[in-house]
Amino acid sequence: MNGSSNLLNWILWMPIIGVLGVLFIPKAKENLIRFWSLFNTVISLAISVVLYMKFDQTVPGMQAFFNVDYMWIKQFNIHYHLGIDGISLPMILLTSLLFTICILSSWTIKKSVKGYFALFLFLQGSIYGVFLSLDFFLFYVFWEVMLIPMFFLIGIWGGENREYAAVKFFLYTFFGSILMLVGMIALYHASAGTDLGVNTFDILALSGGKFQSLNMELFGYTFSFSKLFFVFMFIGFAIKVPVFPFHTWLPHAHVQAPTAISVVLAGVLLKMGTYGFLRIAFPIFPAASVYFANCIAWLGLVNIIYGALCAMAQSDVKKLIAYSSVSHMGFVMLGLAAMSIQGMNGAVLQMFNHGTSTAMLFLLIGILYERSHHRWIIRPDGTKGFGGLYTQLPKYTIIFIIAMFASMGLPGLSGFISEALIFLGIFEFNKTITVLALFGLLIGAAYLLWMFKRMFFGEVIEECKAYTDVNAREVLYMSPLCVAVILFGIWPSPVLNIMKASVGQLVSLMSQF
Amino acid sequence: MDYTIGNIAPIILLPFAAFVINAFIVKKVPKFAVGLGCITMFASFCYACRVFKDFVFVTYSADYYVHKVFTWFDLGLINGKPFNVDMGIYLDNMSAVLLLMVTGCALIIHIFSTFYMEHDARFGSFFVYLSLFTAAMIGLVLSENLLSVFVFWELMGFCSYSLIGFYYEKEGAGNASMKAFMTTRVGDVFFLVGILAIWSTIGSTSFVDIYAAIASGAFNDLTVVGIPLVTFSAISIFLGTIGKSAQFPLQVWLPDAMWGPTPCSALIHAATMVAAGVYLSLRMYPLMEAGGITTVIAYIGGITAFGAATIALIQTDIKAVLAYSTISQLGYMVLGIGVGAYNAAFMHLITHAVFKACLFLSAGSVIHSLHDHHTDGHVQEMPRMGGLRKKMPFTFIAMLCCTFAIAGFPFFSGFVSKDRILGDALLQALDHKTMIAPAVLGFIAALLTAFYMFRMMFLTFYGEPRDKELYEHTDVETLSWNRNVPLLILTVFTLGFWYSGSLTGQGLVKFPGVEHKEWFSTLIKKPDVEKFTKYKREAWGSTDSRDQFFEKAHYDANHGMTEAQAHHAHHVHHIGAIMSIIIAFFGFFIAYMMYIKKAWSPGWWSSKLSPWYRALQSKYFFDDLYIKVIIQKGLLGMNNFLAWIDMGIYDRYIVDGTEVINRFAYRVSNWFDNKIVDTVGVDGTGASVRLFNVVLRTIQSGKIQFYFMILVVVLVSYIWTLV
Repeated sequence: MNGSSNLLNWILWMPIIGVLGVLFIPKAKENLIRFWSLFNTVISLAISVVLYMKFDQTVPGMQAFFNVDYMWIKQFNIHYHLGIDGISLPMILLTSLLFTICILSSWTIKKSVKGYFALFLFLQGSIYGVFLSLDFFLFYVFWEVMLIPMFFLIGIWGGENREYAAVKFFLYTFFGSILMLVGMIALYHASAGTDLGVNTFDILALSGGKFQSLNMELFGYTFSFSKLFFVFMFIGFAIKVPVFPFHTWLPHAHVQAPTAISVVLAGVLLKMGTYGFLRIAFPIFPAASVYFANCIAWLGLVNIIYGALCAMAQSDVKKLIAYSSVSHMGFVMLGLAAMSIQGMNGAVLQMFNHGTSTAMLFLLIGILYERSHHRWIIRPDGTKGFGGLYTQLPKYTIIFIIAMFASMGLPGLSGFISEALIFLGIFEFNKTITVLALFGLLIGAAYLLWMFKRMFFGEVIEECKAYTDVNAREVLYMSPLCVAVILFGIWPSPVLNIMKASVGQLVSLMSQF
Repeated sequence: MDYTIGNIAPIILLPFAAFVINAFIVKKVPKFAVGLGCITMFASFCYACRVFKDFVFVTYSADYYVHKVFTWFDLGLINGKPFNVDMGIYLDNMSAVLLLMVTGCALIIHIFSTFYMEHDARFGSFFVYLSLFTAAMIGLVLSENLLSVFVFWELMGFCSYSLIGFYYEKEGAGNASMKAFMTTRVGDVFFLVGILAIWSTIGSTSFVDIYAAIASGAFNDLTVVGIPLVTFSAISIFLGTIGKSAQFPLQVWLPDAMWGPTPCSALIHAATMVAAGVYLSLRMYPLMEAGGITTVIAYIGGITAFGAATIALIQTDIKAVLAYSTISQLGYMVLGIGVGAYNAAFMHLITHAVFKACLFLSAGSVIHSLHDHHTDGHVQEMPRMGGLRKKMPFTFIAMLCCTFAIAGFPFFSGFVSKDRILGDALLQALDHKTMIAPAVLGFIAALLTAFYMFRMMFLTFYGEPRDKELYEHTDVETLSWNRNVPLLILTVFTLGFWYSGSLTGQGLVKFPGVEHKEWFSTLIKKPDVEKFTKYKREAWGSTDSRDQFFEKAHYDANHGMTEAQAHHAHHVHHIGAIMSIIIAFFGFFIAYMMYIKKAWSPGWWSSKLSPWYRALQSKYFFDDLYIKVIIQKGLLGMNNFLAWIDMGIYDRYIVDGTEVINRFAYRVSNWFDNKIVDTVGVDGTGASVRLFNVVLRTIQSGKIQFYFMILVVVLVSYIWTLV
């Protein structure tokens, strides 16, 4: 059934219209390309805001009003099915906001402007696709298509070692995708045997624990269908999150990627992994999810502690923040594993809040990199890479402090509420994990403050004396994030209200198993 | 008559508004920002005075409290019950007194800062942080639940971090601020665990609900990781206090916090923030009692009071002496909580805030006027001072009165509060053998306190100037509204009768017929948890009827003890008081003999006790243990190792190692492809075709003789087989 609104089509295809526009603009007119891309993302942002306003926050689950459903490939019952609920809407809003900001921060890209912006908008479109698809096949298509622009954006516009990082990112994710593909096809074939009666890729139809009693033979052993394919799906999504031990692509990709791509990577792409759990792995295999919840929680804990400890050892700022993402996504995993209202809401909120705070940190490092052309806190030869930035760049420092404290979960800034909810959820689930995970908060503060101390305090070192403070463009794109981080720290209800009905529905589904 | 939120909210909103406005305009108009900060602080103080008047003077009964909540955010229904996260106000006598102290000290320190920070390049920014800090502290005092306490607690930690690192050009300030934040965060993490434990058990963190839960036994029989839940949460929350109030073993951060400007040390690291830890433990006293950890608390307090006092003996930096003295005094408060001197611990919190703020400001006044022209810096080292009382008479008077107060001389505030804590400690020690040690430590610390404080006074203000040039360059102090007047105002409140007396006469009014008139002991009482089982929450917009609680107020002169017990307690308190007086004078006497008469040599003592002296010099090796061993060797070593494993081993060999498998598979398939499929199979087909080709070509040569020969051969062999 198609809803009366066509907004989801608009939001999905708007970036693609942007790509076509960019392709028609001559290569030499770089500013026109930049402004067109900015215009395009602003339109997307505006559509997202309209979406937010039309969204009915009291209704759990997919909103019929926005539903888009067309037959795509009739022979295989593949649909072009888009929908939105309280879990995907925050992600859509986050994507729209971050892409607009990233376009502004990409203003200084010099190399092949046309190609960059075309791929960037293409990336935006494919990310929207992932968050909107309700047909597994369509979801998979977008999931895979997203790799292509990402591969080129890292591989062409990245740092010295960009090709290695791009290939690594691609192969890692692709490995997960293959497992997911197997799972998807298995589901398709198994679906006819359930009460659905037909082979289908429809995520909503597949959801609700329909494959619980199914067993299958593999290499002569009997496996529980749902447990086996939950693990397949889990690995597919876990690589994206990234869950330990599938995390090592992340530091490479982050360090090599240009600023805007790092922002998208940390801000949105990682959330696609946890979104996958919420949309696909959990609802389709609820019993298996509950069965593996303890495992997920322990993996989340390892992420938190391991990521934080590794972050502390880094002397490259970007690598440090990359590992901090590993640590922070561990909190999301904890919240998911708790499978309670508090934990799940905390997890989705943390997905949003981590998107804003980490984006800020990566943008700030990008701003600094444009001035310094290096990112060493301490160079390999033991000399200081930065020093006394507080004195040299006062405005920059204030924004940095906001981002840093938001990231470490200072009350009054956004990270705190989501972490508190996650902890509340996980405390009821497993107290040992909670107590251990709280040390992650401690180490989380330590590596950030230590980095801050080494870079910002003390006398200004000679090479930093030439740095200029943030300019108007940079303030312009940092300020929405500052506002978001402070506003949702003091008043989280706008985000929580969107998600709580849908999250509640998911939790009540999980609680039946 | 109604008491509405409109009477209370401005106390916190005014400084917070000043912070928000100043944050944006401070760079453009710093002077205006300073003015705005001070004015809002004054207004906030006036509102706090009004609350104080209403609560402490005649208007309300002794048991009156205001409790209002609003929903911060909610997550819908959980198991049919709404899950709301509340924020709100809980205001009783204790908060009212604390509010007056906080806003009063903050106001005085704001005014003093206009003098102290005037020539600083970041004059305005300092006030931005001050406003935020004050708002956070007020927020903590008004909080009705632990979560909201935690929020403001951390915000204060942030302000403390920023102000310790205020002189960010200096490397040391960076180290000190990080150390302060991280050390307190260790405690904070445990505090959060405690909050979670309570929250997940009773679904709320409100004080009122916690009291009611303790009374109704909701915590009974529950365990967390093998420990009874109530003990678990009590220890966790007390660990928060240990971090914030710089108690043993997390005391290391407070001396380093002196890197901040002196007014901030006065406000944050003496009067308010560090006392917030003690306040938390007082609020949670029923929990501590139910958890059975009061003995532990007493020991922590006693050890801290004693240990910090010994380190203070040898400090030469005037602010360092005060910093260690703060730790030591906070130890007294914690000791007070441990021995059940609820009322006295809180009183000491208030009296200490006043005299320690005044001491720090006086030290600031001294430091500010001692300007070294060679280094263009201020002098904090006491060996370079001496004889300053002639140059700074007002500062001298203020500091002297505060020293009398902290040393516990009769008629001064410190005597009133400290004596009660020691009296209760003595009472406990007589009853329980285990409690002897904390009491003894407390009494020895009192002796040390009197000694090191007078040592500081004598070294600073008496004798001959030891740095003549510095002395000559120092101007004679004149009375000014923002330098000495704030000090003198605080000095007035170092007198004991404000706290022990009955200036208001309210004891009589509130409890008709009661002779006992000390407002502190009539108003500040351990929460009666039973009472809270009956109280209901009030909505945010509602108003309170002032007479509502009158009937519940009753005064118990014996504090719940029997007549005989009360008599005994009274007796012990008398002995304690006499002992404290003797000890204070004795401490004074030793300092006098050492530094004025010079009859006894400090050097003799330090050489006699040299191992201990060395331990004192390195602050009992805590910094070495934490920084050199645990952090540098342990944590950083482990981090580097893990990071090496992660990228150097795991990623390089295991993840990228899959490439080896790939390469092997590639080689095998390549070989198979080339050699078997291609060479043998594909090329083999070709070769076989070629072979046939050669054969057939040879056969099909088109020569008729050859065909005929074949025909003959075939025919002959056929016939031969037939035969």
